[in-house]
Amino acid sequence: MELLAVFLPLIAFAIAGLFGKKIGDKGCQFITCAAVIIAALSSISLFFNVAYGGTAYTTVLADWINSGDFHIKWALRIDTLSVVMMCVINIVSACVHVYSIGYMSHDEAKGRFMAYLSLFTFAMLMLVTSDNLLQLFFGWEGVGLASYLLIGFWNHKESANAAAQKAFIVNRVGDFGLALGMMAIFVIFGTIQFDAIFSQVPEMAETYFTFLGGEYHALTIIGLLLFIGAIGKSAQLGLHTWLPDAMEGPTPVSALIHAATMVTAGVFLVARMSPLYEFAPDALMVVTVVGATTAFVAATIGLTQFDIKRVIAYSTMSQLGYMFFALGVSAYGAAMFHLMTHAFFKALLFLGAGSVIHAMSDEQDMRKMGGIWKKIPITYGLMWVGSLALAGIPPFAGYFSKDIVLEAAWADGTWFGHYAYYMGIAAAFMTAFYSWRLLLMTFHGKPRASEKVMSHVHESPTVMLGPLVVLAAGALFAGMVFYQGFVGSAGHHGDDHGTAHVEAEHHGEEEHGDTHEPVVIHDEGAEVIHAAEDGEEEHHAEDFVLSKETFWNQSIQVLAANDTVEAAHNVPKWVKYLPLVMGLLGISLAYVFYMFRPNAPSVTVTSFKELHTLFYNKWFFDEIYHHVFTKTAFLLGLFFWKFGDKKIIDGYGPDGSASVSNKVANLMSRFQSGYVYQYAFMMMIAVIGLISWFVFKGSSAGGAL
Amino acid sequence: MIIQALAFYLFAGILVVSALMVISARNPVHSVLFLILGFFNSAGLFILLGAEFVAMIMVIVYVGAVAVLFLFVVMMLDISFADLRKGAMQYVPVGLAIGAVLLTELVMAYGVWAFAPDALANRGAPLIRFEGATNAESLGQVLYTDYVLAFQLAGLILFVAMVGAIVLTLRTRPGVRRQNVGEQHARKREDVLEIRKVTPGTGV
Amino acid sequence: MTDFNLIPLLPEIFLSLVGMGLLIVGVSQGNVSTRVICWSSAAGFVITGLILLGIGWETQTVLNGMFVMDKFAGFMKLLILTGLVAAVGLSVRYIIQEGMERFEYPILIIFAGIGMMIMVSANNLLTLYMGLELQSLSLYVLAAFHRNSMRSSEAGIKYFVLGALSSGMLLFGMSLIYGFTGSVDFTTIGATVNNLSAIPFGLTFGLVFVLAGLAFKISAVPFHMWTPDVYQGAPTSVTALFAIVPKIAAFGLLMRLLFEPFMGMSEQWVQIIYFIAVASMVVGAFAAIAQGNIKRLLAYSSIGNMGYALMGLVAGTAEGAGAVVLYLTIYMIMTAGVFAVVLSMRRQGMAVYKIKDLSGLSQTNPGLAYPLAILMFSMSGIPPAAGFFGKLVVFNAAVASGYYILAVIGVLSSVVAAFYYLRVVKVMFFDEPADAFDGGLPFARRAILFISVLFVLGFVIKPNIFVSSSFDAASVLFQG
Repeated sequence: MELLAVFLPLIAFAIAGLFGKKIGDKGCQFITCAAVIIAALSSISLFFNVAYGGTAYTTVLADWINSGDFHIKWALRIDTLSVVMMCVINIVSACVHVYSIGYMSHDEAKGRFMAYLSLFTFAMLMLVTSDNLLQLFFGWEGVGLASYLLIGFWNHKESANAAAQKAFIVNRVGDFGLALGMMAIFVIFGTIQFDAIFSQVPEMAETYFTFLGGEYHALTIIGLLLFIGAIGKSAQLGLHTWLPDAMEGPTPVSALIHAATMVTAGVFLVARMSPLYEFAPDALMVVTVVGATTAFVAATIGLTQFDIKRVIAYSTMSQLGYMFFALGVSAYGAAMFHLMTHAFFKALLFLGAGSVIHAMSDEQDMRKMGGIWKKIPITYGLMWVGSLALAGIPPFAGYFSKDIVLEAAWADGTWFGHYAYYMGIAAAFMTAFYSWRLLLMTFHGKPRASEKVMSHVHESPTVMLGPLVVLAAGALFAGMVFYQGFVGSAGHHGDDHGTAHVEAEHHGEEEHGDTHEPVVIHDEGAEVIHAAEDGEEEHHAEDFVLSKETFWNQSIQVLAANDTVEAAHNVPKWVKYLPLVMGLLGISLAYVFYMFRPNAPSVTVTSFKELHTLFYNKWFFDEIYHHVFTKTAFLLGLFFWKFGDKKIIDGYGPDGSASVSNKVANLMSRFQSGYVYQYAFMMMIAVIGLISWFVFKGSSAGGAL
Repeated sequence: MIIQALAFYLFAGILVVSALMVISARNPVHSVLFLILGFFNSAGLFILLGAEFVAMIMVIVYVGAVAVLFLFVVMMLDISFADLRKGAMQYVPVGLAIGAVLLTELVMAYGVWAFAPDALANRGAPLIRFEGATNAESLGQVLYTDYVLAFQLAGLILFVAMVGAIVLTLRTRPGVRRQNVGEQHARKREDVLEIRKVTPGTGV
Repeated sequence: MTDFNLIPLLPEIFLSLVGMGLLIVGVSQGNVSTRVICWSSAAGFVITGLILLGIGWETQTVLNGMFVMDKFAGFMKLLILTGLVAAVGLSVRYIIQEGMERFEYPILIIFAGIGMMIMVSANNLLTLYMGLELQSLSLYVLAAFHRNSMRSSEAGIKYFVLGALSSGMLLFGMSLIYGFTGSVDFTTIGATVNNLSAIPFGLTFGLVFVLAGLAFKISAVPFHMWTPDVYQGAPTSVTALFAIVPKIAAFGLLMRLLFEPFMGMSEQWVQIIYFIAVASMVVGAFAAIAQGNIKRLLAYSSIGNMGYALMGLVAGTAEGAGAVVLYLTIYMIMTAGVFAVVLSMRRQGMAVYKIKDLSGLSQTNPGLAYPLAILMFSMSGIPPAAGFFGKLVVFNAAVASGYYILAVIGVLSSVVAAFYYLRVVKVMFFDEPADAFDGGLPFARRAILFISVLFVLGFVIKPNIFVSSSFDAASVLFQG
């Protein structure tokens, strides 16, 4: 089953990539879609076996490297954590595959695009099912590569190429951290196999590195190094600049890679390494602070952007911040929960945005949209669903996951936990605001696009809307259905969330009974129905209490003292309701600004000119990087080029090496004269040289002469 | 004892001088003749060592066959050694210097030469069986038994040398007349003779 | 003689019979039978390989201790036979195209092969020398095989003269060793050397001369001068043979010599090998930059590669020896693939050798360009190609024994070397296309190229097959 789930996309990639020309675009689309859909079904079935059946296992495929103490196998580690990821990846990927058939219908290289998508899916699956760090790194680099290929897919666009390179290079900084972390783990633990590492962690808790005279807590260093990798991949503050630029890629790519899956690899990595992080509280503190700050900063930038995809991109970054601070306060389950719900509603938003862009003849600027909601009602409705989920309005998925994240942060009780909570609240307010700003600017008001464009506005074809509906179902129900499993407490079974949960199940069934959408939708429906049945069973069987402990089944480990998810169920009422209130406030404010008082935005902008400039220019990160790194690097480069390279290196190196090695080569070719007696001479000289060496050494060392 | 020493230095001295002459003589024929002289002297050295069989082989094979072959080749080819040596002469000083260094070092090595403690026993081990036998006899005893592998391999090497020589030199030139003895013997009168009646006044 | 047993020699005996039998066939049928004889000799190598696999590789010495059969010898012989099959397979079409279709060609390869197999099984200085000469003599003739080409004859003569000089050195060294230890048998020499309290000069001198002679055979700097000239001058198919096989035999010989009889002198020989390893890596890397002829380039590349392999010897451990064997295996297979491409560089029926001639090959003949690019990446040691692992294991072995500087020099020179390998790729993919090569890749070349590329790419998936078998083979040397 897991082999199907993991390797089908690879096979599809191989077929579409190698024989794309032979089987044609249609063939490529069919094969890749079919493969990923089957993979998605397999992973759903795995999910119920593993997460609810409690059967975690590892499938060894082959020996990989055996060198000295270094033993690595190709193996698939199937536990709750990985099946959750597999489900998310495969379902979203299946949706995106199908959606792409419609979205890319005007593109010339459809086959290649589908092949890349499948390659990406495979690499991501490899990453999450890995049994050791090296295989994870393999997947990690694989998704990086696929992301590079897909961002730069429209390689005739200068900006797409630049963005692809930026993404690759910025990620490389993070990968450096990850690689160092991996090496550090090998140094300390003598293995990079997960089980072997985790079993040793408690013994190694007091290990120290000695470096440059200082002593450093080994696990903290490892945690930080791995986190640097996560920062890069998950676009956290510092290494986030590639993510908005990556929106140059086709929209399905943004949905798959830059919202639902690849960017969550960092979150997954930290969750996977949870047994290690539990013993590195300082590293967790850094994770929290970086995550919380990212959530806030990204939200502020999102307020001011006009490009529809960039707004969603910044919101992705902000939501990733939530996940990270949840990880930082040891609420790994909550983080994974948010990861899952987020994957659904963010992919929905992206694909919805793609549908809008498609309708508007590839226009992305929200200032040139407006007033189109009547023309594309289905897209409009689905965007509402996504936005409600994003803003955290019950009973949408985002409400459950965002709340538990914030509550866990508060429940942590430390200063950084509280910092994260307040940052999160502020971000929640802004999230709601910019989501409705996006909705209102895009769909309402007077049309600002040209006549010609407006006349072309049309609803997208079924093949694009189908996946949207599947994702919308996820955005609606994933929160309630899985709340108990991901973060539910054994003791607090049936609190207010639980009630919502049961009602929603029936609702979900009805709604899905009515839908008449293509094949894919039924898979999702099936999942929900299964889940509902499962829920009912759970009600009947009194002795079996589904809680996060049984659900995660050791794939995530939390020290009892750090169990903030448990504590989150007992926080004060105001802590629970504040995010919701802030969300509603944000929505209302957006209505005020963009519906009722159209001049309010400009007034606000002028009165908070400095702040707006700061936000609008993305906190000047790109500029700062440009000046601090790029320019310095450029200047350094110039310096090294002019002075170091031209004078020293070229002087002594390449040119020089060219001239020196030319000289050397000339010298050699003078030796290499073609005259046999010179060659013979050389040989004799060499022998005598060697003998003289021994004579000299022997006599100077007083050896036996 | 003293006679042996004298003989050794005589042979060795002539050997060195003639070796020197081989490479310095202007006339290539002289070089080969000095080479033959050198062979003789090394044969003498072998006799001093009690290896009379090797000494005889030296004379028969090297002097009798190899060197004479050389001599023929050199005489027939008319090589101007002076021309060949033109380029090489500029390296004589360097060559001499290197040679001198090597010589010094070898002298240093031989000057303090000591055999390994086990050397005598090692050397003696294969000889025990042949106490008192002549060395032709003992060679005969081991050549096809103990050293059969080396012997066979030597055979293969000569075989390859032969094949190689043929490969590199044998050319089939079309249109060259050769004597074919078999054909000559197989010739019959009927094949070559035809009797015709010639009418007077006309040609054949 | 108590140890008279010909079973371990069966492969060699069989191969000699094949050689002589085919010679008779050739003489009676003339040069028209060249193709048949070539393929028969390839079949002969394969059968010899099967016999080799059948005779069992337990360690035993036979024929008065002159010949040893063990796992190491077995593995190396298998490699040699594989290389020979590849060399013959690469040659057939080429010698026909070049008009040197003569039946002695495969026969000489057979005899060279016998020599090489004897070399890796030698347990006595005499056997060593005989094997070496048998191999060398055949190769001298092969180098000059193209009689109508001045360059080929020149290459043959050069190789012969310098080879004779190196043999002279080897013999002089052997005589010193015999003089000191009183024996030519490896086992006895080993025991004698191990009994010494201090190593005297005479023995060291002997070892220096012997190593100089052997360094010539593996074309290690500073005994490498013949290599570029001979590689360039010899017919390309012969160059391929030179690059692929004899080095393995010479390395096998060198390893047995150093690790068995002279292990007690490791302090001395490590210094020598260290020096020639460094010199080979550096010269191989730098001198290649200036080359415009692909055959000369490959000559320097082989010099550099021998430097890396020697690095494993310096380590002086079983791990290092295993690394060398693995390195040679990988090198052999890569080189065979590269030569399959080089042999196919022909325009209007004429062979061309300039790197420039490869310009734009990716457009005119992608079927050659992509495999060659992969092989070049592998040669320059870029992961995950096999070449990377070869370098990795030797560097590892050197580092494990504490030779950090050596490893650093190795890494640096492989960086320099990467430049000229990648230049080939650059020329093929980014330069303006030159005229297309003549089409039609013979089956044998295509098969060799395919296997080579498959190996280079597939190695990473199951490295253990090769790693464990080569380490296993090499470990035998350290049991005695």
